[in-house]
Amino acid sequence: MILNKNIGVSDKLLFLTIIIVSLLGLTILYSATNENFDVVIRQGTRLIFCFFLMLFISSFDINRLKIISPYIYGTSIFLLIITLFWGHDSKGATRWIMIFGFSLQVSEILKVILPMMLAWFLSLSEDKEIDFTKLAISFLIIFLPISFVIKQPDLGTSLIILLCGIISIFLGGIKRTHIIYIFGLFVVVAPLMWKFLLLPYQKKRILTLIDPSSDPLGSGYHIIQSKIAVGSGGFFGKGFLNGTQSQLEFLPERGTDFIFAVFAEEFGFFGIMILFLLYLIIILRCIHITQKAKNYFSKILAGSITCIFVLLIITNVSMAIGLLPVVGVTLPLLSLGGSSLLSIFFAFGIMFSIHRRV
Amino acid sequence: MKRSFLDFSRINAEKLFQNRFNILISILIILSVFLIIRLYFLQVVSFNHFDTLSKTNRIKYISTPPRRGIIYDRNNIVLADNASLYSIEINIKEAKNIKNIIDAVKKEIILSQKEINSFHKKRVKYSHYNSIILKSNLSEQEVAKILSIRHKYDGLDVTASLLRKYPFKEITHHVLGHVGYIDKKDLKSLDKKKYRNTQYIGKTGVEKFYENELYGKPGYKHVEINARGRQLRDLDIGYAEAGADLHLTLDIELQKFMYQKMFEFSGSSIAMNPKNGEILGMVSLPSVDPNERLWKYGFDQAEIKKLKSPLFNRSINGLYSPGSTIKPLVALNSIKNNLIDPYHEIYAGPYFQLPDSPRRFRDWKPEGHGMVDLNRAIVQSCDVYFYNLANNLGIKNMSLFFKNFSFGSKTGIDMPFESSGVLPSNEWKKKNIGYKWTDGDTVITGIGQGYFLATPLQLAYATSIIANRGLISIPKLNKDILKKKDKEILEKEEFFKNNIKTKDWEIITSAMFDVVNKQNGTAFWSIRNKNNKIAGKTGTVQVYSLSQETDERDDENIPDHLKDHSLYVGFAPVDDPQIVVATVIENVGSGSKFAAPISNKIINYYLDKVRKRY
Repeated sequence: MILNKNIGVSDKLLFLTIIIVSLLGLTILYSATNENFDVVIRQGTRLIFCFFLMLFISSFDINRLKIISPYIYGTSIFLLIITLFWGHDSKGATRWIMIFGFSLQVSEILKVILPMMLAWFLSLSEDKEIDFTKLAISFLIIFLPISFVIKQPDLGTSLIILLCGIISIFLGGIKRTHIIYIFGLFVVVAPLMWKFLLLPYQKKRILTLIDPSSDPLGSGYHIIQSKIAVGSGGFFGKGFLNGTQSQLEFLPERGTDFIFAVFAEEFGFFGIMILFLLYLIIILRCIHITQKAKNYFSKILAGSITCIFVLLIITNVSMAIGLLPVVGVTLPLLSLGGSSLLSIFFAFGIMFSIHRRV
Repeated sequence: MKRSFLDFSRINAEKLFQNRFNILISILIILSVFLIIRLYFLQVVSFNHFDTLSKTNRIKYISTPPRRGIIYDRNNIVLADNASLYSIEINIKEAKNIKNIIDAVKKEIILSQKEINSFHKKRVKYSHYNSIILKSNLSEQEVAKILSIRHKYDGLDVTASLLRKYPFKEITHHVLGHVGYIDKKDLKSLDKKKYRNTQYIGKTGVEKFYENELYGKPGYKHVEINARGRQLRDLDIGYAEAGADLHLTLDIELQKFMYQKMFEFSGSSIAMNPKNGEILGMVSLPSVDPNERLWKYGFDQAEIKKLKSPLFNRSINGLYSPGSTIKPLVALNSIKNNLIDPYHEIYAGPYFQLPDSPRRFRDWKPEGHGMVDLNRAIVQSCDVYFYNLANNLGIKNMSLFFKNFSFGSKTGIDMPFESSGVLPSNEWKKKNIGYKWTDGDTVITGIGQGYFLATPLQLAYATSIIANRGLISIPKLNKDILKKKDKEILEKEEFFKNNIKTKDWEIITSAMFDVVNKQNGTAFWSIRNKNNKIAGKTGTVQVYSLSQETDERDDENIPDHLKDHSLYVGFAPVDDPQIVVATVIENVGSGSKFAAPISNKIINYYLDKVRKRY
């Protein structure tokens, strides 16, 4: 029934791969949490919830989704404001709000909602090219939620959301001259941002990335231990539940930010290649859907979701092996946490919805 | 459905989108390929590097200290043993808030302010340790209480360690020495690898001298630890080898007796078997219980001041003028040089005067001894007689002769930090005092005063050579070693053999026998039981000298610290000596009154009671 072309999930291969990767995620989470079955059960429950959400979204006609995009966007802005005032704190940042007993990180879902909103806006007058006004409004759409996320403060997520928005505008057909202007502006503004906008802890994070050994027990500790975990995995890995870096808790944030390091330590290079292969199948199916998409809104949205999906994987893996600062980006489908799972499955729901219209 | 999708501009837009999408996907593919190459380098190419890092992360090498060797007396009675000691330790590197931990401990068990203060002091002094002891010697109940709160505080732990126990406490302290915490000074000289994780090291006495033998060989353990440093399991164990046990020549019964007899005094007494150099008993007073020291890391300074240098081992470090105990040697030297006829009587008045000098060298007997021969001079300890002998011998001759009895050099006993004393000579005075030697110096050297300084052990050693009639046995404490006579010792024995006739030895030993057994001997009244044929010589050493003007000494009004030292050397039986005793008692008065009776009782006790058991 759910695989029925008209109401449910139409792309069987994509569907199956998503399930396989999700189950793999639960498995590695079991190891990452030191065989804490409770955490795995909780994540599994979230997974099932998100899974049905995906089916629910996919049952919508894509044009219906397009029409409600601004409302979803508006709601998310509202939730961000609520987060700022009534959200709960963790590690010095206010990122979560409680909704029906669930802890929700609105900024995570923005990674999908923002491209959706931009796709809606850019496809309003799809036969006209993007002029300055249109570009300005697009950036307003991007920076409105980002300004709230920065306030939380969460610089990492803000940057990722910004990138998501830029991807959408880029795919939406921004003029080449505009790209050059924006790039020029960035070169001027970036040093000023470093000086006035970044908080000391954020600067420290970026600095220890450049030289992690400068602070081996502080911020550099995460990066060093993660690299050791990945490197000591070797070709075939230390085996499931045998990763000493993760089992003996040398590795921090094992379930979330550094789940890739746990995976790499226990399954090695070989395991990573298998994981990447599964990701590749998902990505290829998404590219296929993008190319087959029938309208402008669908194309921009599907393209954005595809690129963002790849971007998140690359960012998270780069964090784990010390190529990027620890900005708190989760590994799609593998990391512990409901909000990122929600946004990923929301995105796949959209992809299935688009696919049904192919 | 809008048809605009087929418009010309729309087709253009679609083309543009396709173009843009391709660009983005290409960039992401390039980044991914780069990541995969990077992962390949990390996991495959540099695997060994990271593998090592991962292992050093989780595997900790722990050295397990060996059991320290047990020290026994000659009859296998334990003198130093190991016991388990439970202590509360705080790992100052791991602890987050030391004050909180101390407060928590205080709620569970009694913790005095003194213990807390001493903990803070130790934190500074032993900052190279990770863990510092907060309280030691816990009862089982206290251990249980602390274990129940341990998990709440990082860095708080209860450790069991071997504690050195000295069952005879202060009685054996100076000879055994003690172990103590390894301090920064020890760290400089010892093998750090060997002593890793070891808390104690021999500090003084036999414990220090035989440190290598007693210590043993440490074992090791590879344990797996987690990120918080908690030990999870043993991966590999090499067991420690216990240190070698040590059998001493001491007889604890005699040692106890000696300590008892000396109890109210400051000084030292040494009993030695002249035949083989075995030290039978060796006490130095005052003394303290070394067991206490381990827990407290040192003594209460006030307590030390109250006692008279209780940490000072007078047996081998106390320097005393030998006084009249040296007279038999001066006599022997004079006989050897044919300077006197031992049976010829000379007049000994109240004092001796050098020609061309007004200075009077007084006799201890204000009216003088009258006509004395050598035997009587020794028996009554006539100073004037020996002033004469010394003057005739000269310092060079005397100095050379004393040297053969080991004065001025270490005896070679198996104890650390032995002092060599001072053997006076022209050269010595020039070098150390800066002045030329005078004839007056020579005269008083003849009665063992002046610059002459010896340890009680040196006195016992020299006496053992007299008792042996020129055969030398180096003093020793370890029953299982054989002190080999080196070239120097053999040369000395050769010297005695060639220069001193048996009859000359007999003149001296029989005079010393008369000291104890003749009615007018200085030690006659010191012992009633004369069955053991004791020979001896008393000595009374002036701590301050009498001025030239007054003839009378007012002994009653001399402050304690200026009173004479009481000395005695003796051996028995005179014809076949089994024991030599040398005793020095500080600031009490004459040798006849204090050192002689104690020493002779020790000799009788040994020969009548202790030896009977063998």
